[in-house]
Amino acid sequence: MIQSAPTSQVSQVRRRPMTFARASLYAFVVLALVSWGYILLATDSGAPDVVSAKTWSNAGNFVQQLIGVESSNRPAYLEVDRWLATGRLALNTLAMSVLAIVLTGIAVLPTFLPGARNVSNGDLGGVPSRPGAVLYHAVRLVFTLTRAVPELVWAMVIVFFLSPGILPGAVALAVHNYGVVGRLSAEVVENLEPGPARALRAAGASNLQMLLYSIFPQALPHFLTYLLYRWEVIIRTTVVVGFVSAGGLGREFRLSLSFFHYTDLALLIMWYLILVIGVDLLSAWLRRVVTRGG
Amino acid sequence: MEFLKSLFPPELSPGFLSLALSASWQTLAYAVAGITLAVLVGFPMGVISSGSVSASPRTGFGLAVAARFILAAMRSIHELVWAVLFVAAFGLSSLTVILALALPYGGILGRIYGELLQQVPEGPLRALRASGASPFRVLLYGRLPMALPDMMGYTFYRLECAIRSAAIMSFVGIRGLGYEIQLSLNDLLFDQVWTLLLFMVGMVVLVDLWSTRVRRSLVS
Repeated sequence: MIQSAPTSQVSQVRRRPMTFARASLYAFVVLALVSWGYILLATDSGAPDVVSAKTWSNAGNFVQQLIGVESSNRPAYLEVDRWLATGRLALNTLAMSVLAIVLTGIAVLPTFLPGARNVSNGDLGGVPSRPGAVLYHAVRLVFTLTRAVPELVWAMVIVFFLSPGILPGAVALAVHNYGVVGRLSAEVVENLEPGPARALRAAGASNLQMLLYSIFPQALPHFLTYLLYRWEVIIRTTVVVGFVSAGGLGREFRLSLSFFHYTDLALLIMWYLILVIGVDLLSAWLRRVVTRGG
Repeated sequence: MEFLKSLFPPELSPGFLSLALSASWQTLAYAVAGITLAVLVGFPMGVISSGSVSASPRTGFGLAVAARFILAAMRSIHELVWAVLFVAAFGLSSLTVILALALPYGGILGRIYGELLQQVPEGPLRALRASGASPFRVLLYGRLPMALPDMMGYTFYRLECAIRSAAIMSFVGIRGLGYEIQLSLNDLLFDQVWTLLLFMVGMVVLVDLWSTRVRRSLVS
């Protein structure tokens, strides 16, 4: 980018970089106004319901039914055997999230290096090759395609092939997260300090040796950190994917809702929160281990 | 194999393309509306959670802890689970779904805004304080202007995720790309599914390119 010498450092810092961003901000505001206009005028927005007393008394009823104050039965979340029965489902859900993250990791590991531009174009001292460039674009395209489609839509498609249970859900989660983690890991490699790789190269290392002994170990902690971050997202999504793939808490969640077993629903939400908080804590601890010891 | 064969060619009749286009617009509108509400919720919560709103450090810290707890609760539940619960409580309408989108997104935006506000360099803040500025002024003229570009960049990044989330809201019965995909899958019209998936990918890629350019223009 060419620019005239700035008269003062301050005005340069404050004004120049905002142009595209500022235009985007205005564009976003316009888009937001149009979107809200569309939703309030052209869809069944439910705006009149916000002020109607009936809506709020219905909502109050729903909360009371979740707690189970009006029912003559004991609420499910006070029954030990209900906790145990749903605990098995919670374990299934946890297993589904672990399977998803392991599948993601296994798929990303061999593909994120060819997906990095500086590996394929020889910036790191390797030899640029035509197959390398083709592979780069192919890998990036797959990252984009898998990432753009949400987990739940993948699950809807995948249940056509795999019998319902934990596996289709885990595969759907893994397909989407393959694109997310793959792209992030490739970008990590692109932002790596090229020094160590070039030094190895200068010392006569082959392409493969350079990748294995320099790039890979440098990128690995970042890769593991991203994978652990995604685990936190995945555990929140397993329930949603379970709605269609019929594995774990998701299926039971849907059934309790359609049979109006609301205290069961409350119990399932409690398990859900336990899983989310547990995985968040575990992932934070593991991330510290990764960045400290490596 | 039959499935893969039936994918090609994608359904490209003008009638179906215009249907896919209007479904894409619906999904985009929900995503944008959800993000704007999330910003409105997340911004004040983020400012409070940065602990810089009160003159007394103890009050500021107490408020920050409370705000962080609420933000964590908001984002611990997936937007579609919120949507299922809200639809059971309030009935199905587009505002219900937008609220369900805005809660977890407000939770994540608020957390990141708070962190960005805390990470600004101390120097200019100290200078402001030395000249007698109140904590509110330090926030308004020191922290906010310094953190704003990063906050905006992150919000644009989240817009891309919101499109995916808006698409899956079809599960509770809201129209859009996910809804059409579900219909076509139920009728085993895989050529239509393929077209709709391409629209989904196209929209996400466009928003991704936009937000990447915004972020690049903000840091340069």
